[in-house]
Amino acid sequence: MQRIMSILWPSFLVAGVAEGLFFTLIDPQELYLLGEPVYFSRTAAYSIGFLCFWAICAASSLATCYLLRSAADINRGVGASQE
Amino acid sequence: MPDLSSKTEPVTFVEQSLFEVHQKVYPRAVTGVFARWRWIMVWLTQLLFYGLCWLPWNGRQAVLFDLIERKFYIFGLVFWPQDVIFLAVLLIIAAYSLFLFTAVGGRLWCGYACPQTVYTEIFLWIERKIEGDRSARMKLDAAPMTIRKALLRATKYVLWGGLALWTGFTFVGYFTPIKTLWTTVWSFSLGPWESFWIFFYGAFTYLFAGHLREQVCMYMCPYARFQGAMFDPDTLTVTYDLARGEPRGARKKGPAPASIGLGDCVDCHICVQVCPTGIDIRKGMQYECIGCAACIDACDQVMDKMGYPKGLIRYSTEHAIEGRWGWKEIISHVARPRVLIYSAILWAIIIALVWGIVNKPTLRVDVIRDRAVLAREVEDDLVENVYRLHVMNVAEAMHRYAITVSGLPGIDMMGDRIVELPAAADKTVTVRVRAPKESGKKGSNVIYFDVKLLSDEKVAVHEKATFLIP
Ligand code: SF4
Ligand code: SF4
Repeated sequence: MQRIMSILWPSFLVAGVAEGLFFTLIDPQELYLLGEPVYFSRTAAYSIGFLCFWAICAASSLATCYLLRSAADINRGVGASQE
Repeated sequence: MPDLSSKTEPVTFVEQSLFEVHQKVYPRAVTGVFARWRWIMVWLTQLLFYGLCWLPWNGRQAVLFDLIERKFYIFGLVFWPQDVIFLAVLLIIAAYSLFLFTAVGGRLWCGYACPQTVYTEIFLWIERKIEGDRSARMKLDAAPMTIRKALLRATKYVLWGGLALWTGFTFVGYFTPIKTLWTTVWSFSLGPWESFWIFFYGAFTYLFAGHLREQVCMYMCPYARFQGAMFDPDTLTVTYDLARGEPRGARKKGPAPASIGLGDCVDCHICVQVCPTGIDIRKGMQYECIGCAACIDACDQVMDKMGYPKGLIRYSTEHAIEGRWGWKEIISHVARPRVLIYSAILWAIIIALVWGIVNKPTLRVDVIRDRAVLAREVEDDLVENVYRLHVMNVAEAMHRYAITVSGLPGIDMMGDRIVELPAAADKTVTVRVRAPKESGKKGSNVIYFDVKLLSDEKVAVHEKATFLIP
């Protein structure tokens, strides 16, 4: 649980900052998605944008957590002895 | 359920008289000067939060961060995306004030104004009203599930949920006009994203204030981690007077502590029981302490009961405790270099911000070349370029503007020469500019658009654009 929080929470904070920066500078209505102008409302664009930012940041946190695992953790996984 | 009662260790009371004190102090939670201040702050911040979004101003919501229109309204001020610099400066001011407050008063923000503290306080109050005081809650938690317990639990969760939803609704009401939001809720036509955000924010409130509580401060709050860097030995913190309190020990009321070889602390653990983060302040300054001063109120009542002077736990500074200073010396140490530098920078930024807002232009124009239509030749050897002028009336009144074009001999424009804009509105006008083919060189030529307020020529924008001649 604590690990999940330590992935989701910092990425939430950073996603908030990224969202703020991105959408102050860029009007979602002027974006193109896969070659088509964005057709959904601004509210939807902001919300989807935030969730995407969050997901991306969470992926980065997840990678950090994954790489932070100690040698002992990894060895246990492959069945090596602890000593 | 990680509430604070189950976090603190069960206490065995040696002295009957102290048990009395416990009964008096704790069941009514903490009362006292600082508890009163905390509640005043709860009321102030929440009246502001729940109320401000309903306030009208000039026929619109006074404070509205209208994401759909991409405009922020704060009373008479309207901020456009072009004003993002003000937002940045505002954030810097917020950060600097936090530094300043922290250097002087420690975690005043955490103890009295942070939404986490405030909502926890409210949620705890609900819990206390329904399930009773600390010991009743501890008993209830340990008891097997009965109909009564289920009913109490259900009531609590429903009340918490209602408050959380209202909070989520209010939050979203700062981003979309709240009155419209209110009617859409009752006509069941709430948009999917609005519903999502109301529930999302509500769920966060519920989780943070109802269940996580002090864990948010201890594990999730970035400020709690770096506030230590802003502390110095003259920072006010909630401090236990070690020299006066020790050696601690239970005793009967009556003899002076010194005569029985004890300090003033009667080791009643009440300061630990009232602490929302469950720490023992007698162990010294700890990063978990949010500076809520609940332990001050609690211990003061114990001291009163025992007939000792108040303030065994009090707001003090490291230097003051060491040097046994009074308030006069503490205050005389407020004006130290760190504080003076923070204040100077803070004032400089505030003045710059106010100057910037006062001198904000009331008219803005962006010239965008039409991407689809390049230059084309029309009849009579004229070349035509198409532009879109995004005219923004930042003022609080309806205005009419005249558009003219200049820069090439014989240049002229077709389309609206007059734009009328309501208060705080914007409009994109399409302008076709024509100039004789031989009036400029082949390729790009510089031309200018002038947009002037009809009633006041001084309000004008002179914008450069390029005119292509094939
Ligand atoms: S510091 Fe005060 S409240 Fe805490 S145990 Fe000692 S006497 Fe009791
Ligand atoms: S130690 Fe005292 S001031 Fe600090 S959090 Fe606990 S009750 Fe509040």
